[in-house]
Amino acid sequence: MNLDKVISGFFFILAMTINFGFFYGDIDNPELHSVYELFVALVVSLISTVLKIGDKTQLGAVLLATSLVADIQLIAAVTVWTITEYLSIVDVEAFAAIISLSGGALLANITSVILYIGETLKSKR
Amino acid sequence: MNNNALWIILQKLRTPLLVIIVTYSIAILGMVLIPGMDDKGNVYHLTFFDAFYFVSYMASTIGFGEAPYAFTYQQKLWVSFCIYITVVGWFYGLGALVSAVTDKTLKFEVMRSRFRKKVREFEGDFVIVLGYTHVNAEIIKKLHTSNMEVVLIDKDEEKINFFMLEELTQDVPVMVGDALLTETLQDAGILRSNCRGIVALFENEEYNFRISILTKFLNPNVKVVAKSTHDDISKSILDTDIAKVINPFEVFAKRVDVALRSPHTLILENWIYGNSDLGEEPLYLPEGKYVICGYGRFGKALQTKFNKYGIEHVFIDAKRLANHKMIEEGSFVRANPDDKDILLDVGIKESAGLIVGTNNDIDNLSIVITAKKLNPDIYIIARENTMQEVSVFQAADIDWLFMIEQIYINKTSMALVNPIRYRFLKLVLIQEEGWTKSLINLLKNQVGINPLLVRLEVKEESAYALYHELLNGVEVEIETLLCSLENREERNHAFPLLLYRDGEEILLPSSINLKIGDQILFACTKESLEEIELIASNIYELHYAKYGKEKENPLLRRFFG
Repeated sequence: MNLDKVISGFFFILAMTINFGFFYGDIDNPELHSVYELFVALVVSLISTVLKIGDKTQLGAVLLATSLVADIQLIAAVTVWTITEYLSIVDVEAFAAIISLSGGALLANITSVILYIGETLKSKR
Repeated sequence: MNNNALWIILQKLRTPLLVIIVTYSIAILGMVLIPGMDDKGNVYHLTFFDAFYFVSYMASTIGFGEAPYAFTYQQKLWVSFCIYITVVGWFYGLGALVSAVTDKTLKFEVMRSRFRKKVREFEGDFVIVLGYTHVNAEIIKKLHTSNMEVVLIDKDEEKINFFMLEELTQDVPVMVGDALLTETLQDAGILRSNCRGIVALFENEEYNFRISILTKFLNPNVKVVAKSTHDDISKSILDTDIAKVINPFEVFAKRVDVALRSPHTLILENWIYGNSDLGEEPLYLPEGKYVICGYGRFGKALQTKFNKYGIEHVFIDAKRLANHKMIEEGSFVRANPDDKDILLDVGIKESAGLIVGTNNDIDNLSIVITAKKLNPDIYIIARENTMQEVSVFQAADIDWLFMIEQIYINKTSMALVNPIRYRFLKLVLIQEEGWTKSLINLLKNQVGINPLLVRLEVKEESAYALYHELLNGVEVEIETLLCSLENREERNHAFPLLLYRDGEEILLPSSINLKIGDQILFACTKESLEEIELIASNIYELHYAKYGKEKENPLLRRFFG
């Protein structure tokens, strides 16, 4: 067993699950989406990006790309949240944008996990 | 991949990035969770943005103060803990970034990608030179004067730095690398179609051999110029079919051979190299006994020539030993040649010539001085190993100076830049005395004392008119190029020396019909060169030279005729 693999696999899947936790719920109801969950989702996503850096194989490059997509989507969601809150224009449209952005990140994370599982199954060791 | 440099940085920054992310998120989360108190005494929580803002300026030690309200003691307790983890994380990250940027492998990768880019941008022909030495620097200068680009590789970074200080007319891409690796050669552009040659003049001749082999398999169209003074290595290098071997001792021995057989050929050779003009006096080696100091590769190369002409000679060498026969015959003495008594013993006073050929320049000079004292009339041939001592050797009043480095420079640059000149020289060296003497007189009378040596290739770019005339099936004799444009009955001051056609060499061509792809070597004056170029590239001049009348312009005739 390779400890590196355990850690990176842990973070890849955690990024997806937390992202899902934030995304799950009515898209227009702020009470169903915790800001803490979004924060943790962003942090874990950043960590999993860093863990993917340095793999120069074709698959490694695709994994890194999906992770970067998730990061950008989550950062966009956080930025929208911050701006709308401080400009006091919290409305349904802005909130729906935040949730759908995190939904995009979720898709990227799912892709990344599928690729990761595929690679694991392919490996003979 | 070209972005190796970026990958190296990213890989080195993995841990620092993780540390920064983790410490920041711990600090931010703590700041959000711990309750604070605003100026009216109400409990409030920092938002994530407030916390991110505060931690950002805390970690980078900018420190704008406590915001938005003064902190409570619980918050201060958490902040004092956070200061240590985030500031340390932040500086660790910065330090790692700086060390990654100044990293040696990274520097190498950056230099390498810059080097490859420069090589890719070459449009004209270029040559790869391996190793920075005095000789190679001179070769680079010669190649530059013939409009060839050069790429330099050296294993030693310090040497590359010294090379940067050389004053060169063109930019030379340089790289620190091991020339014996295929990867380095590929970086230097050996696979490119405009790579003309590779210069391998390493002291270690095994390297030169390996370079020849590698080049043979990488790109057989690249010409290798390799140094080799050992017979077995020379043979192996020549077996690759793409290499040209330079053995300075053999070169000099051949010159001695030529000087003994036909002194005028030497004049021709020096003129072809561009070292002197045709007005030089022929060099007649004095007849009699020769004393040769040094029985190494140089001495052995000379020995075969002296034996061939049956010239009496004696070798002196302190370190090497000859076979019994030579010692018994008295043609070898094992002693220090820089000894007055030894020189007297071998009969320096009665000798006609002295050849000083050890591999130590100071020893050579010292022997020359001693010998001059004993026999002021003696003819002296001296070997000079490095060009740094050239002024001292000139002052020593030596009759024939044999400069090893000069031979490398001349031979290499000619083989790469002027292959047809090289072919001509090879043919000249095997001619008889009478032939060369009459050729020199002919050139002196027809062209001048120092004719230019120029090459004309029958192809569209360099001989437009001629190319199209031949393409249409018209026969053009080589004499057409030699007409004077003022009066076609007269000849201009040019003389064709060699015509090269598909591996066939025609010496002193005359009354030959030209073909597309022919290469012709002319000896001519500057004015005649212009005339030749005009005839070859201008359809009207070619028409006049061929038929003796002006070519009519169909377009003009339609309007004015």
